[in-house]
Amino acid sequence: MAKHESEVPLAGERKLDPADFFEKNRGAIYSIIVLSILMIIWYFAANRIQNTLLLPYFQDTVKEFINCWIDRKIVSNLMLTLKRVFTGFLYAFAIGIPLGLLMGYSRAAMQGISPIINSLRQIPIMAWIPLSIIWFGLGDGPTVFLITVSAIFPLVINTIAGVHGIDPTYYNAARSMGASLPNIIRDIVIPGALPSILTGCRLAMGSGWMSVICAEFIATSAGFGFLMVEAQMRLETAQLYALMIMSGLVGFVIDKGFIVIESKLTSWRYKDGFIGG
Amino acid sequence: MALLEVNGVSKVFTQKRKPAHIVLDDVSFAVEQGQFVSLLGPSGCGKTTLLTMLGGFMHPNAGEIILAGNRVEEPGPDRGFVFQNYALFPWMTVKENILYSLRVKKYSKQEQAERLQELLDISHLHGSESKYPIQLSGGMQQRVAVVRALASRPKLLLLDEPLGAVDFQMRELLQEELAHLVEGAKTTVIMVTHDVSESVYLSDRVLVMSGIKGRIIKDVYINLERPRRRQSKEYTAYVSELTRLVRLAFNGNSADVDSTAAAAAANNHSTKRQLSYVEAYNRASNKYAQNS
Repeated sequence: MAKHESEVPLAGERKLDPADFFEKNRGAIYSIIVLSILMIIWYFAANRIQNTLLLPYFQDTVKEFINCWIDRKIVSNLMLTLKRVFTGFLYAFAIGIPLGLLMGYSRAAMQGISPIINSLRQIPIMAWIPLSIIWFGLGDGPTVFLITVSAIFPLVINTIAGVHGIDPTYYNAARSMGASLPNIIRDIVIPGALPSILTGCRLAMGSGWMSVICAEFIATSAGFGFLMVEAQMRLETAQLYALMIMSGLVGFVIDKGFIVIESKLTSWRYKDGFIGG
Repeated sequence: MALLEVNGVSKVFTQKRKPAHIVLDDVSFAVEQGQFVSLLGPSGCGKTTLLTMLGGFMHPNAGEIILAGNRVEEPGPDRGFVFQNYALFPWMTVKENILYSLRVKKYSKQEQAERLQELLDISHLHGSESKYPIQLSGGMQQRVAVVRALASRPKLLLLDEPLGAVDFQMRELLQEELAHLVEGAKTTVIMVTHDVSESVYLSDRVLVMSGIKGRIIKDVYINLERPRRRQSKEYTAYVSELTRLVRLAFNGNSADVDSTAAAAAANNHSTKRQLSYVEAYNRASNKYAQNS
């Protein structure tokens, strides 16, 4: 390293400079180091405990993990779960965003609705399961309902905060240029609240993805959560671990997707039109 | 008939459990077509309140404001308003910002394109049409704000301390730009300022307002050729005379001015939104989203 630093890099060689490479990928490199340490700890811990029911061998879990992505049954169940999540998210979006905009814009709506919203969101998501089974039976119905319920609150709350965060002079500026109420909603309220709405979407998607798996433990006989219960029943701990890692990874990728959408839709917030995430 | 007539305008702010605060009491003046008029006075003298009422964002408790024969009741594109912080819409490009008033009034594409060219010409903003406000310098933002307000060809341009947030060196430069822009547009202007030199540099006429009830204590015409030379003897004479008048407006009535300032501060505070649970929640969840 010291040698490289003392040399003046030529323009063409810059890309190959390890110090430069490190600077650019600092975050990713740190993540990989931490992850590797955890894997090594797992490897030795499993060898020491020698109880695959509690902690499967690292190499077995890796094998299972790879298998998960090939196994038809697992992939189709994953797709089913993802479909439920996106459906529930869309319902939550369709209800939560207009509700949040209304509550953010109108003080009367805020005063009328917020006590109800604030009471409903205190109910633990698992407590909705019995009722949702009574309403929708078993299958897609209760899971989609639970995703909607868990996703709707972060959407409403972030939308309200987004509208409240808009500088009031923007409204005056728009009105002084002859904007009507529909103009103001479309040109000021929605774009002004958008960054916060997108944060709400990320949180909503996250809690939707978490609650769907809970819901599938109980209220259905298919889906990703159901596979986990099955793996546990069959005492296939390695597969259970692999499925858990898979669910974490899928959630991570969805979240990254939202970050990309966010930076595309709100590039006006950044001088160079880009954010890292 | 004058373009703008302000007839006996009064404004009282009332607050719970506090005596009513009279900001403006029976203020009258008239402005002729093409004049550049500055409202100059100590902070809290009601000059911004007056401008806000000219803009139509607030109603007087008594009296009336007549613009070209019509009573001002609400905001409208016949008055261009440049806000202190410019209030450029950050999610719109320079072009979209400038043409906003034409777009909401559904002007044809061709009319919009032609007007855009004219406005870019007078503001020297060619090449920046598709930039976002965050990508512009302070001076460019100011020019966008002014031509945006001019886009609908308003009868009156209202400027609320347009250089209030700009540092001293930058300020003189931007004053020159502003003078240039406004002269090019040949419009009538009312500007609020607390900067004496700024008012002399830009105005045809300066109305000095008192801290008590916004009384206009002096109506000073600035008879200097443009562009104005800040070093000339006449210029500095105007500046020192107006500085004396502003000091009089401030010091002569210190008790009143103090209460006015305090009331203004209290009023300001009440409009500031309290930190609600929503914001607290959002702050926490944003943090969560960033960390995850």
